[in-house]
Amino acid sequence: MNNTQVAAIFEPILGAERCLTDTASAEQYGTDWTKVWEPAPSVVLLPETLEEVQAIVRAANEHGVALVPSGGRTGLSAGAVAAKGEAVVAMDRMNKVLSYNPFDRAVKVQAGVITQQLQEFAEEKGLFYPVDFASAGSSQIGGNIGTNAGGIKVIRYGMTREWVSGLTVVTGKGDVLELNNGLMKNATGYDLRHLFIGSEGTLGIIVDATIQLARQPENLTALVLGVNTFDDIMKVLHAFQQKLDLTAFEFFSDKAMAHVLAHGVPEPFAERTPFYCLLEFEQTSEAVGETAMELFSHCLEEGWVLDGVMSQSLQQLDQLWQLRERISESIAPHTPYKNDISVTVSQVPEFVAAVDKVVQEAYPDFEIVWFGHIGDGNMHLNILKPESLPKEEFFERCNEVSKWVFEIVAKHKGSISAEHGVGMTKKPYLGYSRSEAEIAYLKAIKAAFDPNHIMNPGKLFDKE
Amino acid sequence: MKVLVPIKRVVDHNVKVRVKADNSGVDLANVKMAMNPFCEIAVEEAVRLKESGAVSEIVVVTIGAKAADEQLRTALALGADRAIRVETEEDAQPLAIAKALKAVYDKESPNLVILGKQAIDGDNNQTGQMFAALAGLPQGTFASEVKVEGDKVQVTREIDGGLQTVELSLPAVVTTDLRLNEPRYASLPNIMKAKKKPLDVLSADEVGVDFTPKVKVLKVEAPAEREAGIIVGSVDELVEKLKNEAKVI
Ligand SMILES: Cc1cc2nc3c(=O)[nH]c(=O)nc-3n(C[C@H](O)[C@H](O)[C@H](O)COP(=O)(O)OP(=O)(O)OC[C@H]3O[C@@H](n4cnc5c(N)ncnc54)[C@H](O)[C@@H]3O)c2cc1C
Repeated sequence: MNNTQVAAIFEPILGAERCLTDTASAEQYGTDWTKVWEPAPSVVLLPETLEEVQAIVRAANEHGVALVPSGGRTGLSAGAVAAKGEAVVAMDRMNKVLSYNPFDRAVKVQAGVITQQLQEFAEEKGLFYPVDFASAGSSQIGGNIGTNAGGIKVIRYGMTREWVSGLTVVTGKGDVLELNNGLMKNATGYDLRHLFIGSEGTLGIIVDATIQLARQPENLTALVLGVNTFDDIMKVLHAFQQKLDLTAFEFFSDKAMAHVLAHGVPEPFAERTPFYCLLEFEQTSEAVGETAMELFSHCLEEGWVLDGVMSQSLQQLDQLWQLRERISESIAPHTPYKNDISVTVSQVPEFVAAVDKVVQEAYPDFEIVWFGHIGDGNMHLNILKPESLPKEEFFERCNEVSKWVFEIVAKHKGSISAEHGVGMTKKPYLGYSRSEAEIAYLKAIKAAFDPNHIMNPGKLFDKE
Repeated sequence: MKVLVPIKRVVDHNVKVRVKADNSGVDLANVKMAMNPFCEIAVEEAVRLKESGAVSEIVVVTIGAKAADEQLRTALALGADRAIRVETEEDAQPLAIAKALKAVYDKESPNLVILGKQAIDGDNNQTGQMFAALAGLPQGTFASEVKVEGDKVQVTREIDGGLQTVELSLPAVVTTDLRLNEPRYASLPNIMKAKKKPLDVLSADEVGVDFTPKVKVLKVEAPAEREAGIIVGSVDELVEKLKNEAKVI
């Protein structure tokens, strides 16, 4: 089938104006942040209702057309990439808040609502949607659920999964399921809602979601600390966690800092240090502030921390966060090869030392940038492409070394993808985190929801 | 040389303030407060002058209730040596503040007074000028550059048509504009040291100022909401709408 023929299948459902086949749309909707594969969708579909989504899935089954659900396309694992003539189902037009109930502290939104839009809605209601990260201005709730997105507040609030109390989905078979309906408690067997969270568009299409909201945090205050060694970061984390409820604990290396400063973010202190950590907490009283100061003094005396600053206003809180949040964006021009790996917090120092050794030996000529949600045991290991090296060759060399890195991950029973999903970039390595028997069960689950394999084929794992 | 830096505790710049239901003002209950951004710039400038050796002592002063000690401590952490708070529970207005500053000025006899061009709560842009007039001092307002040379200070001012440089003989008053400098963060070791620096409190009687407001706010209203924009389908449609609906071309 050529693109026009594929479009013709869906035109009766959406009309020609919502079945896009032009090159610009194909390029825009056919890719995410990974930019490894060239986008080549057959058609871009823009449904506006549940009924249209269902009709699309049914037609796709009938004609054997593969579908790629697409959210804000900020994904980092090529989950939303359509490189093989698939039809993209872009949720952009389904961007409405459907209902809000202050007693349930729950809001029902369509899947295409932008994460930030939900955050702002919560704020308007005097509440808080705590899943947050640098791409929240573009990512969609559907995509967040598809990847079980984490971000910078996981240490306190958990992943997206914690906040989803209901889903409406169209399964790969074309059935509409209403899952859990916003209930706090529901002990009636398998919770299918949780299968869809983190399913990366391989089981069906999420059409709307009921999201729980939290109370607004009070007087958020950030510390940025200069730290000498990786081990010391973990000691600082341990010391602070014993006395304060942290809302965030992030780390980044001086290399990461250098890229962000080059983008004009103000420096926190005059002397540079090998590592930095950013901690955030609610300064609900003077006593809490005192505790933070005492902890800092302790860390200083122990020699774990070399210097530090504390935000004195929300503006400074914002600016300090930029040191961490703008890393991805500032290294993006260097075509980074991203690893998003995690182990249990206690294993972090040993794990990082082992990975660092392998990486240093394998890439003496590459720039390595470490940062991440270290309070959750989650590290982003970024390898930057030297300008002179062609993209293909660079990724080939990275893939080679990935195996060694993932062997260390497997040895520590860690995850090869902590929060970015598997998609296509991590598909070859799934076996390092999931056993063969486990993957067989995953495939059986997929077959139950999507017997004809039309939902995002080639993502997560291959059919055989 | 001694510098006096008046600072103000205001609603945090990043807070979206809401107008109270009875239109009597904005709702300040449980709202984050912080140092006025222009005051941060004033403190930073004084600290830089001290670091350059031109200044030997920095005294910060504020007029307000006990809660404002928090901002004085921040200024001390940033590098001020001493702090003074003139006690009042009133919502002090520019003229009364200028009078109180005059009293502190007489007591301290600084060579230079650096303060923000305005505070982001009232946006009055009056205190510096009123104080300079009361104290009979030359003033360099909206400073984007300050250079102290001997008993003179050169102030580059941001004015409508560009930049103007004036030279004032000390003692003098400088009010800071946004581009004067980029304030540093308060370092944690300095925040700890700041706790031990002197902070004196003066009563309204001691400065001889009546802080009862002289200007009464009758009504506060939120600005009219802007209508949402639309996305036009084509350039032709845009031109058509600009011509016939917006009537701008
Ligand atoms: C600068 C930057 C920083 C980031 N930081 C973080 C971070 O801290 N933590 C984190 O977890 N992620 C982070 N990410 C990754 C990314 O933003 C998240 O994975 C996000 O959840 C993706 O949402 P999206 O709407 O862009 O999804 P997309 O990229 O469009 O899609 C992601 C996956 O979800 C599927 N999908 C999308 N919508 C639906 C739907 N309606 N139904 C079913 N499946 C669907 C897609 O098929 C795909 O497999 C970051 C990305 C960038 C660019």
